[in-house]
Amino acid sequence: MSINMGYFVRESVQNFRRNWVMSLGAVITIYLSLLLVGVFIATGFVVNSVVQSVEDKVTVQIFLKDGAATEDVNALQAALLKDPLVKGVDYTSKDDALKKFKEDMKQSPEIIDQLEGNPLPASLDVTLKEPKTVEQMVAKIKKMPLFLTVADRPDSPEESLKYGQQIVNKLFAFTRVIRVIEVVFVLMLGIVSLIFINNTIRLAIYARRKEIGIMRLVGASNWFIRTPFLLEGVLQALIGASLAILSVIGLQAAIMPRLRDALPFLAVTLSGGATAQIALSLILAGVFIGIGGSWLAMTRYLKV
Amino acid sequence: MSDLIGQAGSQVPPENVVAPVRTGPTMISLRGVSKSYLADTAALADCNVEIHSGEFVFIVGHSGSGKSTFIRLLLRELLPTRGQIIVAGQDLVKLKNWKVPYLRRNIGCVFQDFKLLPNKTAFENIAFALEVIGKSRHVIRTQVPEVLRLVGLEDKIDSYPDQLSGGEQQRVSIARAFVNRPPLLLCDEPTGNLDPQTSLGIMKLLERINKTGTTVLVATHDRDMVDNMRRRVIALEGGRVIRDQDRGVYGYVD
Repeated sequence: MSINMGYFVRESVQNFRRNWVMSLGAVITIYLSLLLVGVFIATGFVVNSVVQSVEDKVTVQIFLKDGAATEDVNALQAALLKDPLVKGVDYTSKDDALKKFKEDMKQSPEIIDQLEGNPLPASLDVTLKEPKTVEQMVAKIKKMPLFLTVADRPDSPEESLKYGQQIVNKLFAFTRVIRVIEVVFVLMLGIVSLIFINNTIRLAIYARRKEIGIMRLVGASNWFIRTPFLLEGVLQALIGASLAILSVIGLQAAIMPRLRDALPFLAVTLSGGATAQIALSLILAGVFIGIGGSWLAMTRYLKV
Repeated sequence: MSDLIGQAGSQVPPENVVAPVRTGPTMISLRGVSKSYLADTAALADCNVEIHSGEFVFIVGHSGSGKSTFIRLLLRELLPTRGQIIVAGQDLVKLKNWKVPYLRRNIGCVFQDFKLLPNKTAFENIAFALEVIGKSRHVIRTQVPEVLRLVGLEDKIDSYPDQLSGGEQQRVSIARAFVNRPPLLLCDEPTGNLDPQTSLGIMKLLERINKTGTTVLVATHDRDMVDNMRRRVIALEGGRVIRDQDRGVYGYVD
């Protein structure tokens, strides 16, 4: 058996070198498809982590109009604190809001420079015991008479309330579209890779038809004749997958810090576990494409 | 079953026909075998042939008489349209596809065009045949030089096919077919590309192999060879066995 394994590896590497232009083409198509798959998966992980962090931090912000009566605000705060869904209520003054805004917008000082006075409203920040109850809580707040008297814009209650669910919903709508595009792309690229591998293996079979004829004649078993070709397809796919994994890791190192700087208010993270998962799925996808493409060629061009 | 003399139109006077000495188990048995490639033309029609272990048999006939079909059926490259074929104890019609390689390990094969790999030396060509059926390096290193000595090419062990004459290439091809010591050796026009002198040498080699107990079946239209050797001759014409005689001759007037 050990002799056989050496023989198979030698044969498939030799095939690869003998036909290196086609093999390189197959490697590159697999590389590109898997790179895209990797980027898509990584994006998915990042979006999930963002959604998660937004959900964790779900608060309902009630924006207060300038000059709302302090006793009204206090009364609203007291009423909210009595609600069983509520964990806590914090008051953010106009000055605090401005300070926080300046902190968030450190990256773009020109925006801060353009501010005249303080356009930001004061707010009551309601934290909930359960993030799931946010919609319920929002409905409750809207019905409170005190809310309407102190709200920033009583004419449209929606504008006076800000809560995480809105962002979450928008993110979900966005990711759904992205996901459909991803699947279509990945399928198309997968098919192209299959065809490419199928083609290189077909040429390899053609180049070795004499050897194959003799192997059949002297009684080499079917799997013995087939294994080098299967291995060649897998070899191409594995090289493509390795390149794709390296590229994904490289892209991650290059893009993630910038993304974090550009979106400081979102928790943009990609854990080491996620990277390992991406690597594993790319290798599996590569092996699948490799075996699939070789198998396709063998069943069509290698009658044993 | 052992006596097939007197089957269909012998063209040879009776005194030439010697009683058969057929012993040993059956190596090849065809019963009612027909093969049609197209619906209405039969390449072989209702063939009944029995060949015993250790025999040396010629299959003769014009091109298109069914010789090649006969050989390919024995190798199970083809399945018969009708009838039963048993080779080396295996019923070829019932034989599972994946078992065919193991059948072929029991059948050595020699062809008119040698089928040697041009980028491999004589040694490597023979070693290849052993390698692909999973023989160890040790076996290869001992058996290949031995079989090359048997065919008289011990000094050409590292020559490439294009450095060898036609006769030498055919010897390498026979060595490759025989290195595994198969009980049956099939030769399809082994001397088709060779001059008479060289052909004689090849035939002597096949005879020597036959003496080791290997059943040898030679499909040929080399009249001189068949007439000189005086071995069993099965004549095919239009896909039918028209003659089957021991110590026969070619028997056609071309």
